Amino acid sequence: MIDPIRLSFEVACPVERAFEVWTADIDRWWPADHTVSGSDDLLVVLEPRSGGRIYERTPGGIEHDWGEVTVWEPPARFGYLWHLRRDREDATEVEIRFVSASAATTRVEIEHRNWERLGAEGETWRDRNRGGWASLLPHYVAATTGPR
Amino acid sequence: MPASPNSLLAGSGDPFDALGDPNRRAIVELLGSAAAAGADGRSVQELADALPISRPAVSRHLRLLKRAGLVVEEPRGTRRIYRLHDEGIEAVRAYLERVWGEAAARFRLVAEHRPSNRR
Repeated sequence: MIDPIRLSFEVACPVERAFEVWTADIDRWWPADHTVSGSDDLLVVLEPRSGGRIYERTPGGIEHDWGEVTVWEPPARFGYLWHLRRDREDATEVEIRFVSASAATTRVEIEHRNWERLGAEGETWRDRNRGGWASLLPHYVAATTGPR
Repeated sequence: MPASPNSLLAGSGDPFDALGDPNRRAIVELLGSAAAAGADGRSVQELADALPISRPAVSRHLRLLKRAGLVVEEPRGTRRIYRLHDEGIEAVRAYLERVWGEAAARFRLVAEHRPSNRR
């Protein structure tokens, strides 16, 4: 078993808003660097239901799938299969929980697991993804306090 | 979707600023292990395949690493190959060694002057 990536941090908004920013507002903050095409003017979509797709659509209408929503329990929790920049068979699993820390703050808990799916490459890809999360999350945190 | 962060485009040219980003450290590590394995560098595509970020993002990171003197770029046929820049890496190593040397000397001094616990 390869240890999951576990991350936990607080954002300055209530649980409902923290959930909404991550899901419905994802296109507002998800950085172009963390996509397949890397284009600045593409659209990022997270379909808000179990079984929903997570994908990018380029200005030319080409869609790249990143994953699939597997757990949809707003505003407490959602989970998805994730294969951005990998083949679909290599999907790992992400679970994100939103826990009320106070009336105005939320603790976001992330677990990214199932690296075993990648076989011998799992541990390396897990470590590379730590860097991915570290460069992704500041964009989310900024969006939770920014204008709607 | 927002544009790429300015920090990626600006870049101070300082190697330690360049190494302050986990994805750029991963690129430096990948180029280092390529060199250790006897390979003559890596293409953008090869690097992007090993990282959870887009190919254009890898290109931007490489430009910044190049500006910081840590990476050099060479045309190879129709491709461009990136490898570590020996002098740039050496400058980082020399800096760390100097700071470490001073810290180690100070630590020795403190250790030698600590009163003994033995009676």
